[in-house]
Order: sequence, then C-alpha cells, then structure tokens
Amino acid sequence: MGSMFLYLVLSGLTNGSLYALLALGLVIIYKATTVVNFAHGEVFMMGGFFAYTFYVLLGLAYPASLLLAVALSLLLGMVTERLAYRPLIKASAISMVLASVGFSFVLRGVARVTWGGKGDFIPFPPIFSYDPIVLGSLLITPQQLIILSGALMCMGVFAAFFRWTKLGKMMQATAENQRAAALVGIRVERVFAIIWGVGACVGALAGVLMAPVTLLYPDIGATLLVKAFASAVLGGFGNLPGAALGGLSMGVIENLAGGYLHTSLVDISAFLVIMLVLVVRPTGFFGAKAVRKV
Amino acid sequence: MQTVRRWIHLSIVAFLMGLLGLVGPALAGQTVGVTEDGITIGSFGALTGPYYLFGKLIMNGAEAVYHEVNKQGGIHGRRLVFIREDDRCDAATAIAAAKKLIYQHEVFMIHGGGCSNPAIAAREEIERANVPWVVFAAVADPITMPVAPYIWSTALTASTESRAQVDFAKAHGAKRLAIIAQHDAWGNARYKPLMEKLKEEGITPVADEEIGVDANDATTQVLRIRQANADAVLLIVYPKATAVFMRDAHKVGYKPIYVGQTALSDLPALQQQVGIAGALDNFFSISQVGFSPEDSRMGRWRALGEELFPGDRLSVYNLFGIASAQVVVEVLKRAGRELTRERFKEEMDKLQNLNTGVYPGLITCTPTDHQCNKVPAWIKLEAGKVVYLAADR
Repeated sequence: MGSMFLYLVLSGLTNGSLYALLALGLVIIYKATTVVNFAHGEVFMMGGFFAYTFYVLLGLAYPASLLLAVALSLLLGMVTERLAYRPLIKASAISMVLASVGFSFVLRGVARVTWGGKGDFIPFPPIFSYDPIVLGSLLITPQQLIILSGALMCMGVFAAFFRWTKLGKMMQATAENQRAAALVGIRVERVFAIIWGVGACVGALAGVLMAPVTLLYPDIGATLLVKAFASAVLGGFGNLPGAALGGLSMGVIENLAGGYLHTSLVDISAFLVIMLVLVVRPTGFFGAKAVRKV
Repeated sequence: MQTVRRWIHLSIVAFLMGLLGLVGPALAGQTVGVTEDGITIGSFGALTGPYYLFGKLIMNGAEAVYHEVNKQGGIHGRRLVFIREDDRCDAATAIAAAKKLIYQHEVFMIHGGGCSNPAIAAREEIERANVPWVVFAAVADPITMPVAPYIWSTALTASTESRAQVDFAKAHGAKRLAIIAQHDAWGNARYKPLMEKLKEEGITPVADEEIGVDANDATTQVLRIRQANADAVLLIVYPKATAVFMRDAHKVGYKPIYVGQTALSDLPALQQQVGIAGALDNFFSISQVGFSPEDSRMGRWRALGEELFPGDRLSVYNLFGIASAQVVVEVLKRAGRELTRERFKEEMDKLQNLNTGVYPGLITCTPTDHQCNKVPAWIKLEAGKVVYLAADR
C-alpha cells in the first residue's frame, strides 16, 4: 500500500513537472499579452517532433537534439508572434483567440505533412533503459529522474532569468504595464516577440522530455494543453510560481484520484480541477484578487 | 388535313419514345450502379486521421483484390469500380459519406465501414436505401443486429471477440481476470458482451479499469490491476494506449497473461511502439485473418500491394480488406450477369463455408444471421515474428 502511494506520487510529480513546464509557457505569454495561446499544445508537440528529427532521423546525441529542438521552438514562438499575434495586436481578444486556434491547426497540419503522420503514433527510443531503479519499496526509472530533474532545473533557470537578467526584468516590466515600459525606452514589440519565443521554448522542452516516455503524434498537444490549462488555473492564472506548483499538484491529484478512487477519474480530473477552483477559489493558489478602484 | 394527321403521328411516336427513354433502363433490367461494362462499389472509412488503419489500409487491400479481378476481365465482363469516401471515423461524416455514395455516386453496393460508431450511425441511411452493404472491419453488434435484409459483416463482431477473450484466458488457466477498457462507442460495444460472458461464467473481474484513448501514462491502471493480483488482463483498448499500458506494466515487472483483440492484431507495430524487448512476451491477441503479412502464402497479395501502393508494407489491415473483398467478388460471381441487388442478397444469404484463404475460418451467412465470420485466430510474437497458435486455428 505504502509503495503504491509513493509510486503514484512520484509518477504524478514526473507527469506534473511536464504540465508545469507547459503551464509556465502558457502563463508567461498570457501575463504579457493577456492572450491564452491555444496553439501552445502544438508548440509542445512540435518540440517533440523536432527532437525526434534530430535524435532519431539525423542520429544526433540526445542533449544536442534537446538544445536544437528548444532553439527551433524559440524561433517558432517568435514566428507565431509575428504571423498570428502582431497583426492583431490592436484587435479584440476574440480575434486573438481565433488566430491562436487557427495557428494550432496549421501546426498540426505541418506535423502531419512533415513527419508522415497519417495518424501514426511514432515511438521515440528511450534515452535510458526502462528498467527501474529500486530504492527500498520505491521504483523509479532513469527516464523519470531525467524528466523530473530536467523540468525542475528548467523552472530554476526560468526563475533566475526573470529575477536576475536585464531581459527578464524588461519582460516583467512589459507584462506589468506596456505603456510604462515603452515610456522608459523598452521596445515593447521586440519584448513581445521574445516572450512568445521563451514561452514556446518552455513548452517545447516539455515535449522533448516527454517524447521518450510516450508516443508522438500530431494531436498530442490538445490533450496536454487541457492539463496545462488546469495547472495554470490551479496555480492562479497569471502567476508563474503558481503555474509550477499547479502543474506538480495536477499530476499528483490525477494519479491519486485514479489510484485510490477510480481510473476513470484520470482523464477528467483536469476538468474537475478547473471547475472546483473556479467555484471554490477562483484565484487559485497564488492569483491576486481583482480589485477595482472607484 | 394530311399535315395535321402527320403531326399527330409524329407526336405519338415522340411521346412513346420519351416514355421509353424514361422507363427504358427499368425495362432492360438495369440496376443502379451496374452498367454494361462496370459495377460501382462504394466504400467509406477513415482515410485520414488517427484511425486510417481501419479505413485506408483496409480499402487498399480490397482495391488490390478488385484490381486483380479487373486484370482478369472483371466479373461477367464487368469491371469493378471502387469509390472511396473519408468518414474520418466520425459518425456525422459517415452519414454524409454514405449519402454521397448512394445518391451522388449511385453505387451498386457498399463495401466499407471501418469504425464502429460511424458504421452504426450510417446504418439507418443505408438500410433505408436498400443498398447492399458488406461491412469489412467495424465490429459493433448493432451494425448487423437486428438483421437488416441488405447488411452483412465479414468482420469478427465485438461479441464474438469478447467471448473468445474470456474463453482464451480460462483455457490458459487464468482464474483472476482483470479488464482494462476504453469506454467510447467502440469500447462499450465490446465491454458489454464481455461482461455478459463473465456473468454467464460466474466470474467477477478482480479489477475493471478505464483508460483514455489518448493516455500518455498508465501508472494508475497498472498499479490497481497489479494490486488486485490478476493473472489475466483482458484489453479492450486501441494500440496507442495499449503500448503505454504495456510499457508501464513492464516498468513495474508485472507479467500476467495479456489478452487482446483485433485492434491489437498488428503485433510487430505494437512491439515497435512499446519499444521494450520482451514486454509482449505474455501478450496474445485475436487476429481476424489466419496468416501474418510475412507468410509466404500471402506473397501474391504482397506483390500486388507493392504494385498498387508502392512503399507501403503489407499490413494485417490490408489483409482484412483482401479477405472481405474476396467474399464480395465470389457473391458477385454467383449472382450472375443479370445482377440486381435482390440477386446479390439471395446469394449472400446462402453463402456457405466460403474459404477465402485469408480468414482463419469459413464464411457462412444465413437469412437470419448476417454476422458471417465467427472464427478468431490467436496470435503472439516470438522472436519478433507473429506466430499463430495452432490449437485455435
């Protein structure tokens, strides 16, 4: 019983760390632009396919494939901003949402054409053996360790970037108040492009880390986006540490619900979390209450 | 006066000719979709999207058979024209596809239906039009039960397979059975008869777990089934989620008997997706066909497939289409040159013990039973090759 609990928690944290990375990408773009990027799941999917191209098709080492896939995703994020967001910067929110939904279909189509995905589920070879390491009554696979440590490291780098780098501070300033940022000389449009790029990087990193433990297919992003969205809501939409904690919690919640209540809850727990948070605590873990000054 | 009379005669002749033009085809006994030199057969199934295996690949197999028939001069001098419509495994699209085949392409018959839910949805439209429909892959029993006069299935049906899964597990000594199922229309079509069979046998499953079609992790399902100490796991799951489940089961070293069904009959592809040597050691599955695509007896179809669809390896799904199309061809032959839908129905209804050389058993239809295929074959992987279990053939 104890070992099952530990395994469920550990596995939940592993999955949750991926949701957290995806949620971080979603939140950073939302925070700066107030746009929920519905193509974010597809960016995650493209990250996985980029890594597949470098690692499997071109035979590069996994670390090199990871870096190249993330770099390409940075570019993809900036292109998304240029093509789908910037032309509509002054348009209504609904136009932006529709543009991001449209772009998600474009990316899925590109994946189908490029990787021959007529619906195939493409296996990504394991980086390490699937054989678990046994620590007392606890089992953990090397791949889980890589995902967990990679994701936590990325979150740390992300936090440091925002806290200590000039670009990170410029991004925060732009996110807080675009007009004030422009007044102090920040080139807001360029910062937006970088924000979309960084958001895509984080999403793609999740895709690259997850690829060896799942199967790649062009529609994978849609499923994961729901979980990332639930994670962001749980953490308090717009709050970066909240997104990270929300993701980790989401992974553990769905595993424990599935493990101890019923497995039918695994797939719907993301929706249940969204509903519960909106009803019980709309601000999530760390979201600030909207205060209207009169 | 003479001019008036001539005009009257001309008008009568014109009227009679017009009448003949209208009723001519009927008088000549012409059937929709059948011309002097051709028979149009329509097909619907997933040509695109994640379920193209159950549409496009099966249609490729059927087309290979029709192509070969045409090379040999057709059936009673008529070439077979095969028209495909994409339903993307979607119910609404399948209804539209069936309507298009019936009313726009005016097909003689339909040979298709890859996914259960769309096939169930399309049944009403096809039944209303009295167009003969031979189902090649969709398994849900409501497609063929209750019996519709013009609808038959050459695929194994869900109830046949579910019952066979239980029998197989029992025959291999399993006493504690667990179920892992996806609860969509396809899954439920199998789950219900499985539960009925278990009830008949007086067996209560020790675990009854659910998994999503798009699952990327199956830790919870594996742990619950392992905790229930099941010695056989019956899988009502598509290949992708099965691959994830088998990976996770291997990780925790859980090795009961795994009993699959026809959706999991491409074992080499499943092994590739699982990606772990030995993870399918205890995995058995039903195959709708009696031979693996690599079998030397399938060489003729392999060659034909390569000729028609260069670059595609012959898959088990192609064989579904090849086997089913042979039934259609045989019945069209027996229906004779004076082909009508009624003649086709008569011949289908009295089809007895037809050996396609691809299905593991013989095909038999009766006026009261249109589920014409009842014999599953059991397969497993040994050293990367599909092996048929002799006792079950």
